[in-house]
Order: sequence, then structure tokens, then C-alpha cells
Amino acid sequence: MSTSTKSKSGELLDRYLHAVSFWLPKKQQADIIAELSEDLRSQVEDKEAELRRPLDDDETMALLKRCGSPILVASRYRPQTSLIGPVLFPIYEFVLKLVLLWVLVPVFILIVGPALILSAADHAGAFFTTIRTLWTTLFMTAAVITLVFAALERTGTKLHLEDRWDKRSLPQLPKQPQLPSTTHTIFELVFALLGIVWLLAVPHYPFLLFGPAAAFLQPAPLWNTFYGPLVVLAFLSLARHGIQVARPQWTWFPPTAQLFSTVVGLMVVKYLIDAASKPLNGEWHPFVVLGSSIQPTVQLARVVGFVNASVLLAMAATWLGLSIAAVIQAGQLVRHLRKRKQGVPSVDPALMRLL
Amino acid sequence: MTNSNGANPDLFESLRLELRRGCLVLAVLARLKTEQYGYTLRKSLGDAGLTIDEGTLYPLLRRLETQGLLVSSWREEDKRNKRFYRMSPEGERVFGLLLEEWKRINASLDRTLQEAGRI
Repeated sequence: MSTSTKSKSGELLDRYLHAVSFWLPKKQQADIIAELSEDLRSQVEDKEAELRRPLDDDETMALLKRCGSPILVASRYRPQTSLIGPVLFPIYEFVLKLVLLWVLVPVFILIVGPALILSAADHAGAFFTTIRTLWTTLFMTAAVITLVFAALERTGTKLHLEDRWDKRSLPQLPKQPQLPSTTHTIFELVFALLGIVWLLAVPHYPFLLFGPAAAFLQPAPLWNTFYGPLVVLAFLSLARHGIQVARPQWTWFPPTAQLFSTVVGLMVVKYLIDAASKPLNGEWHPFVVLGSSIQPTVQLARVVGFVNASVLLAMAATWLGLSIAAVIQAGQLVRHLRKRKQGVPSVDPALMRLL
Repeated sequence: MTNSNGANPDLFESLRLELRRGCLVLAVLARLKTEQYGYTLRKSLGDAGLTIDEGTLYPLLRRLETQGLLVSSWREEDKRNKRFYRMSPEGERVFGLLLEEWKRINASLDRTLQEAGRI
């Protein structure tokens, strides 16, 4: 019985060593296993001498368990390796976020997605195709960036990236965000109020919009549809400024309301451009037309055409500007919410004004 | 998760290993002024209160040998092949420097802890 138990414990040791050797570098395998085997067998012998009997399976297993799993034991003989080391990792993380979140996602949401969806007959199908393409592109880009950084990591020791810096390469400190003063916010409120008065007066006094050209120009019928939403948007802006004056401690409100206004503005401008792109009765006079009592001449027709083209161009530029503003404001809002979640203390606006 | 002393056991274990790492190198070099093989070295360190498992000792011995601080040779003893280690001349020199550094750190730490009223 003793021989059989001994051979069983020996077999268990051999199986353990075999499992360790599988994970070892080939060149050192035999050497390491010979040394480890000698140590383990010495431990078994000492324990057997202490107990005055051979170890059984459970006792041998307990000894091996204390030694550690085969893969863990083997891993200690290998140098520590990582795909991207601690020096390059922050740069890798920054580039990954920049390219994926700040370039690819906005490009898909603002350019590729609308272009594919609006030009397709099947809008829902085009939407899912866009999502699929976005996912594949994100995955492929992340893989390429990771491979590039992994390659850089292998050559990093030769480049000495961590030594290549001096005082001139240090970035300037970011400017502390200044909270708008009460005077500034009140001025904005007054201007928003004047804007509403102007907007409400325009239908009755076209001179306010066209100046001297009001004698022969008048707004096109398109404005009958969009005048209401524009007035609502102006009132929303007034309410926003009012809340900012009344509740300066709501630090989350300005970025949220600003983003909301921009997105609503973006939608209104988009619908205006879409509506303006469709000629009515073969004529393209979407924004302004000649006054009903004016006798059309070639020269006046040219003026009307020029004004309409200019307004459309301004609308397109506004749409682009609002799109960029929406991305920036969304980023600002996310940063603000993240800071609030992390508990970064925000300066009391009332205190800021006193200072 | 914390233990009865209010300390996170994983954090304590990680800091304890970090603290021991450098000390083990010094202890191993000190013991290998005279030739020994792995198992007896481990036992002698354990008897002196520095327990070290085989998974830590053998990779450490290999690293020190690669760095030129130890030399080793396989020899048969008690009908079994064993690998014997001892300090190389370079190991003796580095050991002397490390010992000086250890004494300096120890003295500074003693002063710091005394000033902090912890010893």
C-alpha cells in the first residue's frame, strides 16, 4: 500500500510539473522543471519523514495547491510583458477617444448618417446600414490604432519618448471658465426681449427686415409656416436668460439649455433649407418675392434671385455653424456632468461675482 | 472590503509584497556568501523568519544569475541532481553597496518613525 500511495503522489507531482512546463519558455523548460522538481520532491520527503509515512493524494495536492496553479508558477519565470506599456498607454487612450468619439461618431451622426438616410428610399434600412457601418468602422479603427501603438511599444525603447520633452513643449494652463456676470446676463436678457419685439413687429413693418427694399420686396409664403416656430424659439431664448438671472446656482442649466436651443435651431434651419430647395410652380423664390403691386422687370427679378440665393447660403452656413456648436456644447455638457458626478466642487457663482 | 483592523486585505497584501521585494534580494545575497541549493536556501531563510515560496525564490535566483550577481552549477548530492548557487565577485560588490543603502534607509526610516511617534 505504501508503495502504491508513494507512486500515486509521485505521479501527481509529475503531472503537475508537466502542466507547469507547458507554459514555460522552451529554452529554459528542462532546467526550470529539474530545479522545481528537486524542490518539490525534497518537500515531500521532509513531510514524509515528519509523518513517518508516505503522503496520500490529498496531502500531495495540498502541497501543490500551496505552490500555486501551474500557469501562475510558470508566469513567474517570464518577464512582465504588455501590449502597450504604461508610458504609451495614456497617449493611446487619448488618441482612441479623440478618433472614435470626437471624429468618427460626429462625422457619422452629422454627415454620413443624414446623407445615407435622406438619399435612400428605405429610410429605416439606411439607418440600420449606417449603424452597422459605424460599428465596423469603429472596430477597425480601434484595431488599427491598437496595432500602431503596439508596434510603437516594441520600438519605444529606441525612441526614448519619455525623455523627449522640455519646458517649451509643456502646454499652457487652461483658462479658468469665467461665469457670466449678472450685468452680462441682464444685457443678454434685454437683447432677447428686443429681439422678440422686433420679430413680432416685422409682419406689420416690413421696413424692419428689408430696409428701403421693403418698397418692392415682401416675405415669401414659406415664412407663414416657419414664423410661428421662430417666435417660439425666441421666447425660449428669453426664458433661458430669465432663468439664468433668477437661478445662477443652477450650473447645469446654461450648458443644457444652450444645447437644447442649438438642437431646436438646427432642426428649424434644416426644415427651412429643405423647404426652400423645392421650387413652387417652376419658380424658385423661397424667401422673398416681389410685392404684389410691383410691376416685374428683369432687373428686379435679378435682385430677388440674388437675395434668395444669399439667404439660402446664409442658412447653409448657419446650419454648419450650429452643427459644430452642437458637438462642442454636447462635449461641454458631458464634461460638466462628469465633474458633478466626480464631486469636483464648482465655484458658487455669487461668490465669483463678489471676487 | 476590510479586515478586522479596518484595512483592505488585498491592498495590504500588495503593499506587503512591495515592501518585501527588495529585502528578499538582500537576504538571498547575504545567504549565498556560502554555496547553497534552492531548497536549503529556502529553509534557512524560513528558519530566520523570512518565508519565501518556491514560485518566488527560483525566478528570483534566475534573475540574479542573469544579472551576473550569482553563479550556479548542477551537481549530484544524495543521489539527486541539485543546482547550487553562490555570489559572484560582482554580486559581492553590489551586495556591499546595497547593504550600505539598506543601513542608510533603515536609519532614516527609524528617525522618521520616531519623529512621527510610531516607534
